[in-house]
Amino acid sequence: MKTIPTLGEILQSQGVSRRGFMKYCAATASLLALPPAMVPRIARALEQARRPSVIWLSFQECTGCTESLTRSSSPTLEGLIFDSISLDYHHTLQAASGEAAEAARHAAMQENMGNYLVLVDGSIPMGNPGYSTIAGISNYDMLMETVEGAAAVVAIGSCAAFGGIPGADPNPTGAMSVSDLVKDKPVVNVPGCPPIPMVITAVLAQFLTFGQLPDLDIHGRPTAFFGQTIHDRCYRRPFYEQGKFAETFDDEGARKGWCLFKLGCKGPITYNACATVKWNAGTSFPIESGHPCLGCSEPGFWDKGGFYAPLSTGKFDSGEKLAGAAVAGVALGAAAAVAGRRRQAKYMKEG
Amino acid sequence: MDLLEFARGPALQFAAYILVAGVIWRLVGIIMLKEKPEFSEPRHPGGLMAALKVIYTRSFTAAPFKRATLYPKMLAYVLHIGLFVVVLLFVPHIVFFEGFLGFDWPGLPNNVIYFAGVAAVVAGIALLVRRLTHPVLRLISNFDDYFSWFITLLPLVTGLLMPVRMGVRYETLLAVHILSVAVLMIWLPFGKLGHTFLVFITRGTTGMVFERRGAKT
Amino acid sequence: MTLQDPTRSPIPYRHGNVTPLLNEIVHALDRLLADDEPTIIDLASLPFAPGELEDLEQALGTGELTAELEALGKSVIRETAYPGVWWVEHRNTGGEVVGRYIEITRSPDILMSQDADIGAGRARLRDSFDGSAPELNKETGK
Repeated sequence: MKTIPTLGEILQSQGVSRRGFMKYCAATASLLALPPAMVPRIARALEQARRPSVIWLSFQECTGCTESLTRSSSPTLEGLIFDSISLDYHHTLQAASGEAAEAARHAAMQENMGNYLVLVDGSIPMGNPGYSTIAGISNYDMLMETVEGAAAVVAIGSCAAFGGIPGADPNPTGAMSVSDLVKDKPVVNVPGCPPIPMVITAVLAQFLTFGQLPDLDIHGRPTAFFGQTIHDRCYRRPFYEQGKFAETFDDEGARKGWCLFKLGCKGPITYNACATVKWNAGTSFPIESGHPCLGCSEPGFWDKGGFYAPLSTGKFDSGEKLAGAAVAGVALGAAAAVAGRRRQAKYMKEG
Repeated sequence: MDLLEFARGPALQFAAYILVAGVIWRLVGIIMLKEKPEFSEPRHPGGLMAALKVIYTRSFTAAPFKRATLYPKMLAYVLHIGLFVVVLLFVPHIVFFEGFLGFDWPGLPNNVIYFAGVAAVVAGIALLVRRLTHPVLRLISNFDDYFSWFITLLPLVTGLLMPVRMGVRYETLLAVHILSVAVLMIWLPFGKLGHTFLVFITRGTTGMVFERRGAKT
Repeated sequence: MTLQDPTRSPIPYRHGNVTPLLNEIVHALDRLLADDEPTIIDLASLPFAPGELEDLEQALGTGELTAELEALGKSVIRETAYPGVWWVEHRNTGGEVVGRYIEITRSPDILMSQDADIGAGRARLRDSFDGSAPELNKETGK
C-alpha cells in the first residue's frame, strides 16, 4: 500500500502557513456547525488525517448533486476539501471511461479495502435492472459490489437518500434508495434537491477530521445540518408570528418580504440548513429570494400535495363524494324521522 | 404514506364524509318530526320573530339563577370565545378553510391566538374539575359528557404544543393535531357537541312554542 | 448586492437580533475581565435578517487596530470600538466569506506568530545569508 500523506503534510507542501491552516480549521468548524471552542481539536485531528479514497457512484440522477458540489468558479473551501480527498472514481468528473474507468474503481477498492468512502447520487431502479446500467453493469450490482469494502456510504441528494423524483408517484422504474438496499454498512443520508454543497463537504470534513460519521436523525441525516426546520431558523418567522403573509407572488406582502406560508411554504416540516448556511456561499436561499420552500430534503416531497398548496390545507377528495355523503345523511335522517313520527303518533293526538 | 400524509388525506376525507352525513342526518331527523298540536289559544303570534327573540333572551341567565351559574357561565364563555378565536382567526386555519370555501378573512397575530388557546384550555380544565366535584353533575355525567370534553380539548392542546415541541418532531405533532380534529369531526354530529348546529334551532323552537303560550320569554 | 460580499442584501428588516447579541458580548467581556476567559461567537450560525449584520457591524464600530491577513485568501481582524471585542472575517481566494466571528479576547489567536511558521521562517532566514557571511556563533550548532 502506498504511503498516504496526512492533510497537514499536504497543506504544508502547498505552502499553506500555520495561520492559513488555522483559518482552514476555523472555517471547517463553522462548516460543521461546531462551536469555535472545538477549533484546536479540529486542528489536531486534521493534521494527522490521511487522505481517504472516495468512490462516487452515479445512478438514476440528474447530475444536479455533482453540479451543486462543483459549482465554484474559484478555489473555495469545498475545493480544498476535495484536494484533501482522493476522488478515485466519478462518472462526470473523471477523464477515463469504459473499461479503464472500471479498472480504476476496482484498483481503488483493492488498495483501500475497508477504508474507502462510497458516495452515491441517484436512485437505484429495482423494477428492471436494465433501466440504468454503467458499463453493462446494473446499478444494483455496482452498488452492492462497491460497498463491500467500504468504511461508510454517503447517499447524496434526495434521490439516493429517499428515491427522489424517479421514486415519485407512480415510480415507474421501481426506484429505491441506498438505505433501502445497503443494510450492513453505515449509511449517511445528505438529502436535498440538490443538497447545499457545504453540507456535502462538511460530512466529508467530519469523516476527515474525526474519522467517524456525524450524529444522525431518524432519517439518517446529520443532525448538525438537518436537526432544525427551515421554519425555526427562517428570518421571516417574525412575520409568521405577526400574521403578515404574502397572498400572491409579487403582491405588496411579497415585496415587503412577509411570510410565504400561504403560498405553500413547507418550511415547518422541512429539516435542512438553508436558512442558516444558505446557498452560493451564503448569498440567499429560496425563501429569501421570494419563493416558498419546496421541502426538498424530506422523503417523498414530490408527492406531498402541490408545492403551492399551503401546509394546512386538507387533501380532500372530490366534491361528488361529499355530496354523496350529504345524500346519505338525508336518507338516514328521513329514515330516522319516519321512525320518530311513528313513535310520536302513538302518544300524540292529532289536533 | 407517513402519518402526516394519512392525517391530511384519507383521515380528513373520511371524517368529512361522516361529519356531513351525520349533521344532515340529525337535522333532517329532527326537523321532519311532527309538530305537537297546540290546543290552547295563542297569547302571542309566536313564529319566527318569537324564535329570534328567545335565541337572544336565552343568552342571558334569568335573574333567580344568575348568582349560582355565574362561575360556570364565565368559564364557558372563555372556552367558547377562545375556541372561536383559535379556530377561525389563526391564519393557518383560515388557509385550511379557504381550501374548500374559496374565500378567506383576516386573522390575528400568533401571540393573541396562543393566549386565547391557553385561556380556553384553562377554562376547559376548570369546567372538568367542576363536573367531577359538583355532587349533582357527578351523578348525571356520562360518557358523552366526558368524551365530548376530551375530544374538544385534544385539538387545542395538541395545537398549543406545536410551537413548544417538548422533544417531539413538528410533523408528528401536526399529524396528531390533524388526527384529533378528524376524530372531533366524526364525533361532533352524534354527541352533545351536536349543539354546534342544533343550539339555535332548539332555542328557537322553544321560543316559538312558549311565546305563543304566553310564557315569560 | 455584489458577488464579493453576497450576504449583504439591499432590503432592510429589523427583527431585533442585534440587541441580545450586544448583551451577550457584555457578559462575555465580564468573563474576560473576571476569569480571563475568551469567547468566540460564530455569526454564521445566527439567522440574521438582511440588513441586521450591517446593523451589528455598525453598532460595534471600528477601534484603533485593524490587521489584514493574507493566507488562503484575505482575512480582516479588527478591534471594534469596544476594546476586547474583535471582528474577524475570513475570505477565501475568491473573495467569498468562509467565516465570520466576534471574538471577545485580549488578542485573537490568529494574530500571533505560530511556532510552525516561526520554525520554517527561521530556516528560510538562515538559508538566505548562508555562505555569504562567516559563522557568527559556533555554540548554537549551526
